[in-house]
Amino acid sequence: MADRALRPGDYATWAVLGLGAVIMLLPFVWMVSTSLKTGDATFVMPPQLIPSAPTLANYSKIFAAVPMAQFLLNSVFVSVTSTVIMVLTCAMAGYAFARIKFPGREIIFYAYLATLMIPQQVTLVPLFVIMTWLDWGNTYQALILPSSFGAFGTFLLRQFYLRLPREVEEAAFMDGAGYVRIFFTIGLQLARPALATLAVFAFMASWNSFLWPLIITSDQSMMTLPVGLSFLNGRYTTDWNVLMAGAVIGTLPIIAVYVFAQKYIIQGLATTGLK
Amino acid sequence: MNIVHKSIAALLLMTAVSSPAFAQQTVVKYMTFSAAPDYIEELDATIAAFEAAHPDIDVQYETAAFGDYFTKLQTVIAAGQAPDAFEVNYENFVAFADKGVLADLGPLISADTGFSTGIYNPTALAAFSEDGKQYGLVESFSNVVLFYNKDLFDKAGVAYPTADWTWKEELEAARKLTDTANGVWGDFAPIQFWEFYKTIAQNGGAMFNADKTEVTIDSPQNVETLQWMVDKVAKYHVTPTDVEMAGQGDGDLFKAGKIAMLRTGIWMFGDFSANASFNWDIALEPGNTNKAHHFFANGVAVSATSANQQAAYEWIKFLTSSKEAVDIRIKAGWELPAVSDAAYVQGYLDQPKPESREVVFQALDTAVTPPVIANWNQLTDIVGKELEAAKLGQKTPQQALTDAAAAVKGIL
Amino acid sequence: MEGVTGRGKYVALAVLLLPSLVGMGAFYILPIVSSLVLSFTKWDLLTPVQWIGVGNYVAALGDPAVQQALRNTLTFILGYLPAVVAGGLGLALLLNRKLKGRTVFRAIYFVPVVTSWVAVSLVWKWLLNPQYGLINYGLALIGIKGPGWLFDPNWAMAGVIMTTIWKDIGFVTVIYLAGLQEIPENLGEASSIDGATPWQRFWSITWPMLAPTTFFVTTISLISSFQVFDQVFVMTGGGPVGATTTMVQLIYKNAFSYGQMGYASAISWILFALIFAVTVAQNFLQKRLDKSDG
Repeated sequence: MADRALRPGDYATWAVLGLGAVIMLLPFVWMVSTSLKTGDATFVMPPQLIPSAPTLANYSKIFAAVPMAQFLLNSVFVSVTSTVIMVLTCAMAGYAFARIKFPGREIIFYAYLATLMIPQQVTLVPLFVIMTWLDWGNTYQALILPSSFGAFGTFLLRQFYLRLPREVEEAAFMDGAGYVRIFFTIGLQLARPALATLAVFAFMASWNSFLWPLIITSDQSMMTLPVGLSFLNGRYTTDWNVLMAGAVIGTLPIIAVYVFAQKYIIQGLATTGLK
Repeated sequence: MNIVHKSIAALLLMTAVSSPAFAQQTVVKYMTFSAAPDYIEELDATIAAFEAAHPDIDVQYETAAFGDYFTKLQTVIAAGQAPDAFEVNYENFVAFADKGVLADLGPLISADTGFSTGIYNPTALAAFSEDGKQYGLVESFSNVVLFYNKDLFDKAGVAYPTADWTWKEELEAARKLTDTANGVWGDFAPIQFWEFYKTIAQNGGAMFNADKTEVTIDSPQNVETLQWMVDKVAKYHVTPTDVEMAGQGDGDLFKAGKIAMLRTGIWMFGDFSANASFNWDIALEPGNTNKAHHFFANGVAVSATSANQQAAYEWIKFLTSSKEAVDIRIKAGWELPAVSDAAYVQGYLDQPKPESREVVFQALDTAVTPPVIANWNQLTDIVGKELEAAKLGQKTPQQALTDAAAAVKGIL
Repeated sequence: MEGVTGRGKYVALAVLLLPSLVGMGAFYILPIVSSLVLSFTKWDLLTPVQWIGVGNYVAALGDPAVQQALRNTLTFILGYLPAVVAGGLGLALLLNRKLKGRTVFRAIYFVPVVTSWVAVSLVWKWLLNPQYGLINYGLALIGIKGPGWLFDPNWAMAGVIMTTIWKDIGFVTVIYLAGLQEIPENLGEASSIDGATPWQRFWSITWPMLAPTTFFVTTISLISSFQVFDQVFVMTGGGPVGATTTMVQLIYKNAFSYGQMGYASAISWILFALIFAVTVAQNFLQKRLDKSDG
C-alpha cells in the first residue's frame, strides 16, 4: 500500500511511538554512557549522559579480570550447535510423525506434548545429577545437548508437514525413493520457513539461557556470556561503570546479529504456529 | 624362561625405567575461594615455591567466588570429581566432616617425621578437628575490628576510640561525627546474620544454648541488641539506610571519607592502605556488657576419595605452615596465617598501616566462633531475612527474633 | 502414502525419529521421571537417598517461604500480565497503521527481546538505583521523590515488573502485529463506511478477530510468569526480605545451596501443578468465550 496523505492522528501516533522508542533505547544509551565513565563520574549528580572525560579503562579492566572473549566464543558455539541439532532433529521427527504410520505413534507423540507442559525447572536437579554421573559437568556437551531437543519444534514441524500437500512427495515415491531420501531432498527444502522460525526460537533461547549454564559450569573457561556477566555482578557489585562495560560486551554481538537479521527474526517469530 | 615371559619382563623393565623419564608428575587439584579475585598472584607464587621444593607434584587450582564456592564444591564432590585438596571455612567444615568427605589427616601427620602441629595456633587448629580426628589444617584466620577515620575525629573534636569504650561512648561519638550536610555518617555496622551473632555476644547473648539443642535467638538481651542495631539507623541516624547507601559498599563509603567508624574485616587493610587518602587506624570493638570479636578461620582439607592424598597433604602443609607461604601471605595482607611462632608474624606487625596492628591479636582474646549447625545455609538465610525485616521497619526487633527463633527450631 | 512398508519403514523411523527419541528420552523423559521419584525422597547429594513418601509435599505446603513465593508470583502476574498484553496490543495497533518508519519502530521495540536477561537486569538495576539512577533522577525533575526500588520491599517487585515489561513488550507487539495482519482489510473498511468510530470498530471486529492471538500471548506470558528467575537472581537475589523470591528461586536455593534435592524436586512439581491448573482453566475459559461469541 502506498503512503497516503498525512492526517493529524498520524503525528500523535508518531509522538507515542517516538516516546516508546526513547524508553526502549535509553537504557542502552545509559549503559554505554556509564561504561565510558570513571568511578567518580559514575556517581555524579545530575548524571551526565555524555561523559565529560570518557575512558576505556573499564573495558580493559574487564578483559584483564575475566576471559570475556572466551565467554563470547562459548556462547556462540553452544547456541549455534544446539540450534543446528534442534532444527535437524525436530524436522526429522516432525516429518516422521506426520508421514509415517507406526504402532505407538500417538502415544509417543502425546508423551512429547506432555513434556511441553512441564517446566524446565522440574528437570533441573535430575539433569544435573545425570550430567555429573556421566562426568559431563563443565563440558560443552552438557551445555549443548539439553537445549538441542524439544517437543515444541517437533510439534511445529509436524503441523507444517501435515498441512503440506503430499503430491510432490508422491511423485518421488513413484520413483522408488524412501522416506529418508524424500525428507532430505524434498522435505527439508519445503519446510524452510518453518525451520527458520524454529531456528530463531532455538537460538534465542540458547543464547539467553542462564539457569542451566549457571548450574553446570564450574569454571570460567566454560562459562557462557550470561553466566560470565552474572559472575562480574558478584565481583563488581557497586562498580557500575565496570558492570556496564561488561553488559555492553555481552549485548553488542547479539544486537549486531539482530541489526542484520532483524527482518528474518521478526518474520520468523510472526509466522509461529499461531493458527 | 620362554619368549613370552622374556618379553613381559622386558616390558615391565622398560616401564619401570621409562616412567621417571616421562616425568609422571602427581597432579594435585586444589580448589580455593580466598585467593580469588585479589590474591591469585600470591597463590601462583606459593605454588611456584611449593613445586620448586616438590618437582614431582603439579598443583593445579580452580577458584570460585565465595558465594558460589560451596555449592560448586558440593556438586563436584557428589559427581565423584572432588579436588584432591580444597579450602573449607569453619562454618562449612562441620557439615563436610559429618558427611564423611574429608580424609582423616592423623595417619599422614604421624607418619610425617620432623613435622609437628605445634606450629599452628592450637585453638585455630582445633577448629578443624572433629571427634578427635584432624580433618583439616588451619590455613588462615581473620577477624573484624573497629576502623576509624582519624581526620573526621579530629575535625569533630572527638577523642579516638579506646579499648574501654562501650556502645554508649560509641553512640555519643557517632552523633558528634555525623554530618548530614556533608553526607558523613558517624558509625556503620551492617545489620545481617554475621554482625548479629557477634553483636549479641557483646551484650551477653547467644543464638543457641551451649550444646546447640535450644534456640535462644529471641532472648531479651538479643532483642535489646537488635533494637540498638536498628536504632543507630532509624532513631539516631548515625548509620545510613540501604537507600541512602544506594548499593555502595560500606568499604567504598569509608574510603570516600563518608563513614567515621566502621566495623569491618582486617581483610580491608590492603585496600584502605592503598586507596584511603586520610589517616585511619583500628581499635577493639566497643561492647555493651561484654567484649566480643569475630573469628573466621579457613582450613584446607584433603578429599576422602583422593588418589593422591600424600601429595595433597604435602601441598596443604606447605600452604599453611611453610615460611615461604606465610611470608607471601603476610606481605600481601591475604588474611593471617594461623601459626603460633611470633617471629613468623612479626612481619605483619611491622607493616606501617594501620598503626595499631596489635589490636588484631588482642581481639583474639574475645573471639566468637560462628554458631555452626548442620543446616548452616538455611540458618543464615532464615535469620538474615528476619533481621532485614527489622532493619527495614517491617517488624519490631522482638517480632523478628520471635519469628526467627520459631523458624530456626524447625531446622535444628 | 503407502508406498513404503515393512523394513524400509523401520529403517526410515530409525534414521528420522531415533535421534529425537533418544534426546527427548535422555534430557526430558528420564529427568522428569527421576524428578518425580526424587520428590518423594530426602537426598543431600553426599549421603544415601532416603525414602520419605509425601513428606516433602506436606512440608512444602506448610512452608512460609513457599507461600511467600506464591504470593510474589501472583503479585508479579497482576502487575505484569495486563500491562504487557495491553501495552503490546496498543503498540501493535499503532504500528499497524501504514505510517512511514514503522518497521524502524518495530525493530527498536524488539531490541530488548533479543538482549540477554542478565545484561538487561544489570542495566535496570543501575537505572533503578535510588540515589544515582536515571529513573529517580527523572522523577525528581518532575518533582517526585522516587522510592528505594530494589532496596524497598514494597517497591522491589514493581522494579522487577517494570523491567520485565520493558524486555517483553516488543515480543507481544510482534505477535499481535502478525495477528492483525491476518485480519482481512476489507472487514475494517466495510465498517468504516458504516460510520463506526475506530473505538467501536476495534471492539466489534479487531478484538474478537485477535482472540487466538490474545490466547497465545496470555498463555505464554502466564507460563513464563510462573518461571521468573534470571532477572530476580541478578537484580535482587530474591530480597529484600524475600519480597521478590520466586518459586524457581526456591528450587535453586533448596537444591544447590541447602543441598535438599528431594525437597527442591517436590517444589518443582508443585510449580508444574500450578501451571497445569492455570493453563487448563484458561483453556476452559477460552472455549466458553468462543461459544458465547458464536
